[in-house]
Amino acid sequence: MKYLLFWFGVLCSSSVYAETFHADAQYCLVCHGSNAQGNEAISAPNLAILPDWYLSSQIQAFQSGWRGHQTTDAYSKEMMAVAKSMSAEDVKRAIGFITGFQVSKTPETLTGDETHGKTLYQTCAACHGAAAEGNQAMGAPPLAGQYSWYLLRQLQAYRSGQRGAAENDSRGAMMKQIAATLQQDQDLNDLVAYINTLDIQKTNNPKTDIKK
Amino acid sequence: MTNPDHKQINNKQLSRREALLLLGKVGGSAAMLQAAGLFGLFAAPVQAQPELVKLKPLTAGRKTVLILGAGISGLVAAYELGKAGYQCKILEASHRAGGRNLTIRHGDFIDELGNPQFCHFDKDPDLYFNAGPARIPAHHTAILHYCREFAVEMQMFCNYNKNCYTQDDNAFGGKPVRIREYEADTRGFFSELMAKSIQAEAKLDAPFDDIDRQKLIEFCKAYGDLSSDFTYEGSERAGYQSGGILSPGVLKKPRAFADLLQSNFWAGAMHFGEISDQAAALMTPVGGMDKIVDAFLSRLAGKVQLKAQVQKVQLLPQGVEVSYWLDGQLQTEQADYCLNCIPAQLMAGIENNFPADYVGVMRQLQRGKLSKIALQAKERFWEKEQIYSGISWTNQDITQIWYPSHGLFKTKGILLGAYSWDPAISDRFSAMTNQERIAAAITQGSKLHSDYGKYIDQGNSVCWQRMNHMLGCGAVWSEELLKTSFATIQAPVGGHYMVGDQVSYHPGWQEGAVRSAWYAMESIQQQEQQKQRQVAV
Repeated sequence: MKYLLFWFGVLCSSSVYAETFHADAQYCLVCHGSNAQGNEAISAPNLAILPDWYLSSQIQAFQSGWRGHQTTDAYSKEMMAVAKSMSAEDVKRAIGFITGFQVSKTPETLTGDETHGKTLYQTCAACHGAAAEGNQAMGAPPLAGQYSWYLLRQLQAYRSGQRGAAENDSRGAMMKQIAATLQQDQDLNDLVAYINTLDIQKTNNPKTDIKK
Repeated sequence: MTNPDHKQINNKQLSRREALLLLGKVGGSAAMLQAAGLFGLFAAPVQAQPELVKLKPLTAGRKTVLILGAGISGLVAAYELGKAGYQCKILEASHRAGGRNLTIRHGDFIDELGNPQFCHFDKDPDLYFNAGPARIPAHHTAILHYCREFAVEMQMFCNYNKNCYTQDDNAFGGKPVRIREYEADTRGFFSELMAKSIQAEAKLDAPFDDIDRQKLIEFCKAYGDLSSDFTYEGSERAGYQSGGILSPGVLKKPRAFADLLQSNFWAGAMHFGEISDQAAALMTPVGGMDKIVDAFLSRLAGKVQLKAQVQKVQLLPQGVEVSYWLDGQLQTEQADYCLNCIPAQLMAGIENNFPADYVGVMRQLQRGKLSKIALQAKERFWEKEQIYSGISWTNQDITQIWYPSHGLFKTKGILLGAYSWDPAISDRFSAMTNQERIAAAITQGSKLHSDYGKYIDQGNSVCWQRMNHMLGCGAVWSEELLKTSFATIQAPVGGHYMVGDQVSYHPGWQEGAVRSAWYAMESIQQQEQQKQRQVAV
């Protein structure tokens, strides 16, 4: 850690990014992409679309072991190790850095019944919003702009109990119950195919400048 | 170590037909495993490629090259292009140069995401471990060319030592067996079955005549050290039970073939030393593989920018523009050419304006998952077991234990306590903290060496799929992807080239990195020559 603190000192010296830039935060981009837009090759989701409150809650979830405690999920384990190595100050800086990026997504072409997906999405809309823009009051993250492979993996993880099973994770438990109603894999495909058609929403972060 | 108990093993009777079926299985499985790239690498034999890169000096104008990554391919490119008159600059994201050519010593920082470590080995030139490449075969003429040119002091490296152990939880009660004993007995029984099968045939099918038939039987005798009646009754190759110098040598009683087959050693590890890249004699630089990196760096003063993390790569109508983070600020530079050594799986996440099929290949390359755990031993206990260098094998997660090829008879030494290239095993190790990895390596290693833990001071681990700025070791190409897309990623897009061992049929080897860089530089030279011809016309 001494090394990282040294780094922080070096990197923050009088630059325009001094307020938000931190060596730890630059770490985020190695996996999550140079604009925090996610990288399928690393199985790292889009962070740029996520608001600060959700990023904060998920780092907490990884630190406390709500996420990543399942041994079968190597990707979550990777993030868990990083989250556990971060101090409260690191987390604050990382979130400040990540929410400063313009929102973007690598386009995806999906095959799925979008009309059926739209019908299924009506259940999701209650929490995640009609445009999948997310709802802080419900603790529901934005889904529009997130990658289908990531959404699919999370739905499967909720369905199998790898996610949402931890004690005290009441919001995860709710999502686990709802995912359990989507029994057919085709339903999951149709659902994410529909979400993929939705425009990326402006997050609740005032610094965000939407890039089309 | 305790003597394996011979008596508990029952010699099961095998009919000739059953035996031949088993033999087929032995040969077939081993061949299949090797063909499939047992070691996570492509095991196809490498042809000697003695031709060296020849770049003609630039005659006209100033040409600039940005090289992304200071691993072996980037260093080779900067050195060769610099000699030919190109203006080169290397941008390296990490705090150090060398990429996966990484030697860990006292005080070094291991930049693993979420698990940063420092090395606390004693400060001693012999106490190091090569976390990445550790050995160079003689036919890797390109990397050896630089070792020779830079006068990097080399030593021999031993990969295969019959005094090392094979340990398998499913055989011999889980007790370790000397490789020399396992191999002598296996070859003995195999040869006996072959010799007797051939003898039983009245005639062999053409093109074998009776003389060939007799020679084949004699071959079996020599191969398995059979007695005059073509029976295997043990061999001094297995090591004597007792005596042999001042009293007559007493042979060990052969182990039963059926029991030898219970171990999985025959399926791959036994033939490891036959693989062209792994066969004796191998070489390694004295004092650590990174002596090669040091030699390049001393010739590239002022050309390597560390801690420069690439943010964006843009193809321009002429040349390439690269943006990168440096000291918290975004910098932008343009160059005529860009040699991009960034691991493809990371480049897929970096903003770019590459053609869709080009970046599409990068997204499909898989992260190579390899892990190594190094242990500092207070005492070189393996020397008391007559082991000097080489590799012991086990079917536990640690897979291998390496004994150092240097520092013989010194007090301390660095063991490689685990080396796995199985992605599932590497996932298990990477999910542990460094302390947990060391503890696991000691527990498992204790099945090969009694009191193992007593000798271990401390250790470090490198899980390549977790290393910052790399997130993988040796790009994993599927055979299908190689067929459809290798040419796409190898070809330039304007002045932009993907390079490194990832753009070779030999990922995970420095030879692949050097030859990939040579390929790209020769292509740049062709582009330049073409431009000059156009100007002349």
